[in-house]
Amino acid sequence: MRTVKFLIYGIPLLLSLLYVGAFWNATQLSTSRKNELTIGSVGEPTKINPILSTDSAASQVESLIFEGLLRYSADLELEPGLAREFALSQTTTFFFASPESALAAREILLGLADRWQEWTLRDVVTDGRELRIDLVQPGLDTSRLIADLVAIEPITIIAQVRAETGKDAREILAAFRAANPEIDVVREWFDYDAVFEISVLGDGAAISKTLEAFLLEKKVESSAVKLLDELNFLAEPVVRFTLRDGVLWQDGVEFSSRDVAFTFWALTDASIGSPRKPDFDLIQSLATPTPHEVVVTYRKPFSPALGSWTMPIIPAHILEGKPIAWWDEFFHRNPVGLGPFKFAEWKTNEFIRLERNPTYYDGAPWLDAIVIRTLPDPIANRLAFETRQVDYWNVDPWAVKAFQEDPRFDVFSAPAKQYNWVGWNLRLPMFQDLRVRQAFAHAVNVPDMIKYVLYGNGVQSTGIFPPMYWFANPDIEPIPYDPDRARALLDEAGWQVGPDGIRVKDGERLSFKLITNQGVETRKDIATLVQDNLKGIGVDVQVEIYEWAVFISRFVMKQEFESLVLAWTTPPDYDAFQVWHSSQANADQLNLVGYNNPKVDRLLEQIRQEYDREKIIEMAGEIQRTIYEDQPLLFLYVPDSTSVVWKDSFRIRRPTPEGWIDTPIEMTKAGWTYYLQWFYRPEYADKMPPA
Amino acid sequence: MTSFIIRRLLITMVLVFFISIVSFFIITLTPGSPYPWGELDPKISQTVKDNFRKQFHLDEPMWKQYYLNMRGLFSGDLRSIKDGRPVLERIGERLPATLALNVCAIVISLSFGLLIGVYSARNAGRWPDVTLSVFSFAMLALPGFWISYLVIIGITAWFGTPLLGTASYGTVFPNAASQFLDYAWHLALPASLLALGGIAAQSRYVRASMIETLGEDYIRTARAKGLDEETVSYKHALRNSIRPLITGIGGLLPALIGGSIIIESIFAYPGIGRLGYQAVLERDYPTLIALNFITAALVLLGNLLADILYAAVDPRVRLE
Repeated sequence: MRTVKFLIYGIPLLLSLLYVGAFWNATQLSTSRKNELTIGSVGEPTKINPILSTDSAASQVESLIFEGLLRYSADLELEPGLAREFALSQTTTFFFASPESALAAREILLGLADRWQEWTLRDVVTDGRELRIDLVQPGLDTSRLIADLVAIEPITIIAQVRAETGKDAREILAAFRAANPEIDVVREWFDYDAVFEISVLGDGAAISKTLEAFLLEKKVESSAVKLLDELNFLAEPVVRFTLRDGVLWQDGVEFSSRDVAFTFWALTDASIGSPRKPDFDLIQSLATPTPHEVVVTYRKPFSPALGSWTMPIIPAHILEGKPIAWWDEFFHRNPVGLGPFKFAEWKTNEFIRLERNPTYYDGAPWLDAIVIRTLPDPIANRLAFETRQVDYWNVDPWAVKAFQEDPRFDVFSAPAKQYNWVGWNLRLPMFQDLRVRQAFAHAVNVPDMIKYVLYGNGVQSTGIFPPMYWFANPDIEPIPYDPDRARALLDEAGWQVGPDGIRVKDGERLSFKLITNQGVETRKDIATLVQDNLKGIGVDVQVEIYEWAVFISRFVMKQEFESLVLAWTTPPDYDAFQVWHSSQANADQLNLVGYNNPKVDRLLEQIRQEYDREKIIEMAGEIQRTIYEDQPLLFLYVPDSTSVVWKDSFRIRRPTPEGWIDTPIEMTKAGWTYYLQWFYRPEYADKMPPA
Repeated sequence: MTSFIIRRLLITMVLVFFISIVSFFIITLTPGSPYPWGELDPKISQTVKDNFRKQFHLDEPMWKQYYLNMRGLFSGDLRSIKDGRPVLERIGERLPATLALNVCAIVISLSFGLLIGVYSARNAGRWPDVTLSVFSFAMLALPGFWISYLVIIGITAWFGTPLLGTASYGTVFPNAASQFLDYAWHLALPASLLALGGIAAQSRYVRASMIETLGEDYIRTARAKGLDEETVSYKHALRNSIRPLITGIGGLLPALIGGSIIIESIFAYPGIGRLGYQAVLERDYPTLIALNFITAALVLLGNLLADILYAAVDPRVRLE
């Protein structure tokens, strides 16, 4: 009976005692902090490998462990990283009917030596029937000019042909070349083993036909041949990186151009399957003449490609020759990089611990460690912050004011790299009249929306580039809220108010569905406000909300919608081709609303080939302004992203050209954590080298 | 008995097979895709998508995908689409924390359930019983996440003690005992919140069963023999009253490794519930298939165990 009574009363009593003891202990823990930064993250990285992961949780960790050849400065501009410097140039190749013509063409150019500087021309060489010119400034303009000058000699047209074979592209092309030795293939490029693209001398249509017949004869299933382009010359930009000396991997091995070549291989190989591959699809070849030099040759001018070299480099000495399953099981949970912090420990679903990398090439960080905790619940995140279990918290808009007024905290706020919008499906006649879209823009009260949906934490969007980027157009005035102007515009467009207060034109009511996805409260709020605002000018809007997967697969990607609320995040990149070019408006492509403006199409094509900074700013500004005037979207706002930190928990001590400076945390265009490497806790200041 | 167990095991296997088919189709036919990138990422090209589908056999017909998944599950090399690691390893690494949490929750719910049940039954109808009954019903009715939020908000607001995850972060511990108590503290809160519903339910079972037993003839006989009330309650009545607890243990088998999505998420506790939840959000089919399979098998085995235990405690029950 004793045992029975013990079981019934003793166990609960013991448990309760333990409970009280544990609680007492928790209240006694010292509040002194380690020289570490603890971050709370809602998600957990899938795998820590910059060439494979696409989730933001992973890229946060990767940005601390790894390093790219280039990086973004505090002003979001490209600057040298692992590469000490980088130089652009371009080789343009002309093919002539005979070597004599090539030599004659060279003579013409040599005779125009006074214009070389203007053309940025450095050298002209011939190689058989090829004439190669070496330009400092990549782009097409100069090459076109020179093409006109040398074209007195018979020049051979280069056809670019693309063939989709599904598999065995390399074998098939080799067989084709063997079977047709008279066809002169001057360049070849493979998209995995599923597609090849070739540059061929001669008549493109005829060659395409020969290739098509060959594929048919070889019984290559579901193949497709397409003549991409016919050119007078091949313009191939070259980027030459000079790597820093003495940079060490976190395991002590020296970094060299071999790592860059390996990273490039991994990015483009089918067995690795990197989702980052398309950024590198325009590369014809990557050469490493010395351990400190990397020469990248592009297939055509494409200036945004430079930004892809912020892609972190992965270690060849660890990964080369290992199967992808080994990467997954070992490297992705135990990565080695070149960044300021090195990987120390990962407890699944709990935390990832990074420690300072004493050999970091840009100076070892002050903090001993960074701990990234996984806290899936948003409320838990806030509570963890308030109990100092994490050092900062990304505040929801509604809570910003309370933290700003609280003297215990520092609040850092800056526009996020995204914009929210309502899109009109321009394939529908209703939305094709510019006056109708302008009327909607005048009718929706965006300043109020910012006030009520974002609690004032945002700015009105003026187009496709958010204001923090160097190429954004600062001179666009937002369309003002003016319901009277909106009504006048609709009257003008022929939409008259009908008996039920809804406008009618030719028997059709101005009535449509506005859809958005579940799970983002602000989108629901936007939809409701737009519905209400438009009702005021006689437009009937029905709001429907769908689960994300359904929303995307059934409506958005099939482009079967009337209007929708969504947001675009914008990388620090002026290339908006996929979202705005008229060729990208089919199902599963990203010109969702079906925008089509030939002027914008042309600018989108040109800006990709432009390397001159001033011209890029000019073109990007023009693209932004034209799209804003066309109003294919109702541009709403750029929300602020706000973080709150316990006051004085960190300071920054960093080198500048003028010497070391010691400051409180600074806000930069790239965010308040940009100088993370130089953060330190003031209570550890005496353990640091003097500034 | 042996033939009963063998027969039941065979039926269980067939059932598990059918469950695996049904759950496979439910999982894979749900809208959404397991692509590791967003649907609206402009940088992903078609060849990259095709290559990914080939890598994870997503381009195969459904029956073949089912076969490949099942073969992978049994040979142990079924890999997660999300991070490429073997699914069993992913589940395995969460087992210690999950077991710790669930064993604690079960111990708390059984011990306190028994305590409250016995106490209520012995005081049936008086105010402690009424109070405890109201408490039990309230705990059964109130959603766990709501209580959890109140508790963590309350504790952080009044005491400011850390309570998320499995340990306090960035703190310097004075000694090992303090570190252990810190671990216990981080385990105790989610475990007791997880146990609340269990305590309420168990106490109701025990109370009802005990009141019923106390009304039996043999109890009257025991009292008539002049035995004191303690002996009557603890030696004679209790033994027959805890049958529902014992048979309930079989049902706890799946709960032992099963997780609680809500409690684990709120407390940032690294358990299997969160693994499953993440897998659903990411459409990580292999992980979901493995988890479903294991859970289904455990539920069925738990039922079998309950039946066997029932026969063991109650000699009147025979397994044929």
